[in-house]
Amino acid sequence: MSWGPDLLIYPFLFIAIYFETFLLVTFLSAPARARRKRRISNSTPRVAIIVPCYNEERTVAATVKSLLALDYPREKLTVVLVDDGSTDSTPKVMAHFKEIPQVTIIRKENGGKHTALNAGIRAVPNAELIGCLDADSFVEPDALREVVACFAEPEVMATTAAMSVHEPKTIFERVQHAEYIFGITVRHILSTINGLYVTPGPFSLYRATVFEQLGGFIAAHQTEDMEMALRMQRAHMVIENAPRARVYTKVPRTLPKLLTQRTRWTSGFLRNVIFSYRDLIANPRHGALGLVVLPFALLSFASGVLLFGTAIFLFGQQTAHMISVTSGIPLSYTLAPRLHFGWFYLPISGLLLLSGSILLITMTFMIIGKRMSHTPGRLIPNVLVYLLLYGFVSPLWLFRAMADTVTGTHRTWR
Amino acid sequence: MSLLTRNAVLALGITLLIIGTVTYAVHYMDQQRLADITAIEARLSTDTLSLETQFSLLENAPCENLSEGTSFSKELSDLGDRLSFAEGRLGSNDPQVVQLKKEYVLLEIRDYLLMQKLSKTCAVKPVTVLYFYSNAGDCSACDRAGYALSYLRQTYPHLRVYSFDYNLDLGALKTLVAVEKVKDTLPAFVIQGKLSYGFTSLTKLEAAFPKSAFATSTATSTVGTN
Repeated sequence: MSWGPDLLIYPFLFIAIYFETFLLVTFLSAPARARRKRRISNSTPRVAIIVPCYNEERTVAATVKSLLALDYPREKLTVVLVDDGSTDSTPKVMAHFKEIPQVTIIRKENGGKHTALNAGIRAVPNAELIGCLDADSFVEPDALREVVACFAEPEVMATTAAMSVHEPKTIFERVQHAEYIFGITVRHILSTINGLYVTPGPFSLYRATVFEQLGGFIAAHQTEDMEMALRMQRAHMVIENAPRARVYTKVPRTLPKLLTQRTRWTSGFLRNVIFSYRDLIANPRHGALGLVVLPFALLSFASGVLLFGTAIFLFGQQTAHMISVTSGIPLSYTLAPRLHFGWFYLPISGLLLLSGSILLITMTFMIIGKRMSHTPGRLIPNVLVYLLLYGFVSPLWLFRAMADTVTGTHRTWR
Repeated sequence: MSLLTRNAVLALGITLLIIGTVTYAVHYMDQQRLADITAIEARLSTDTLSLETQFSLLENAPCENLSEGTSFSKELSDLGDRLSFAEGRLGSNDPQVVQLKKEYVLLEIRDYLLMQKLSKTCAVKPVTVLYFYSNAGDCSACDRAGYALSYLRQTYPHLRVYSFDYNLDLGALKTLVAVEKVKDTLPAFVIQGKLSYGFTSLTKLEAAFPKSAFATSTATSTVGTN
């Protein structure tokens, strides 16, 4: 083995394998098994679901219809549609639902998603559980009962759902589909050790007392769902997960839009964790979140930046060397394939085998996620696209988010 | 022990087991590769000795055995490729690689000497190149020179290229260096007995060869480990 920049990779491979193994061990532990056996709830507390909307004319109707189709007593479920100053025909689409007793419509000036959520919270003073559903997401009819079941435990203050991509068609939608399915398993596992640090917009529910105790949502660098979860964690509140509560969400269809969304998420994570919630990191009082989850999340960000930077450097170095060595030699010789066959020349290295182990565990989590949540659709083709593309595209938003955080740049939502 | 601590310790144990297994598997494959090279070198050494013994018994060159020499050279070429691959994986300072490289260089020198004898008495005039390089980072043109020689060898199959790591600590190689009067200005070439230094372009290197070197032929070649 030669000493070079590629050796930087090994510590990160160790950390990645360790974290994935930790997740696997936790997945097999008794508390996780007990959560997977949790039965659907017959309990029917008063629930309000807030749908914040800003220019969602194309999807909001389907979102509301999926909420109205929830298997839940009508008198116990309120749907609050908050139009955050849309400039398209969102108000008209919302108006189609104004006659439905369950639906409350609020119109306000544009102030950002957090203000829309807070307006919705203020409108439902009698709700016991308050949830949100982004206006580009749709729930399965049994999703609410799955989520409500988690609140049978009195210490549970919020519950997240199992998100997946709504009808993935483009290459980047397929990449995200595999990623979201992976996220279903990870979210389930992290909830076992109260390690969740995001309560995503698509169908996270909170006890109403959370907002009474901690206050409403704040802008939080355009990641209000992450900030709320971190605030709850700081207050030692328990965030659960319902892995069979299926919610489907629309995701960016193209690379530029995906880049915009992920830059927002990643820079939001960096700003929230480093600037506002640094005290949680490596803090034993916050258990797995402080000691394992947040440190690993920061390390995985650093490793993404560092490994991609190293890969670019090595690729540039090798390319320059190859151009230098082959200059003056006929291209017919340089480009001719020279393959060696037989076991002797198998390119098996520690790097390859360790990376393979990580991918194998990742794929295992994806298969588990799909089966556990009963998410429909084909997974394997999307996993293959994910394996081919994700490693190349994710560093783009990591670098961009790092640059934005360092320079203090703030971008628009979309 | 809390669930978190238990899982963390268990995960560490499994991680170390995975890494240990991978390390062992890679080490095992590398050892098998080196054993493969050792076996080829032992076989080639026996073949060389056999050819040299035939030479002595007949008190003349066994010209009819030139076809054996052809397959021998192909094997030596394959050995060079394998050694180069192993050196790339384990590094040029690995003691086992260095030892195998020394044995390979000895085989190259013996093949070179044998070819010299055969060319004097048999109807064959191979064009030989002794190529001296360095892997110590003090020869910026060596990679380019090695690549150009690989191209020439493939394009003109009857060229016989013998590559030597100038810094290899081997008595026979030092003697060859002394006999050919090769200084440490690398890369250095001895083409048909004529010494030259440096590499600037393929065209200039080709100019150092006799025209007969680029005639079509079916003879064979030998490769080095640069």
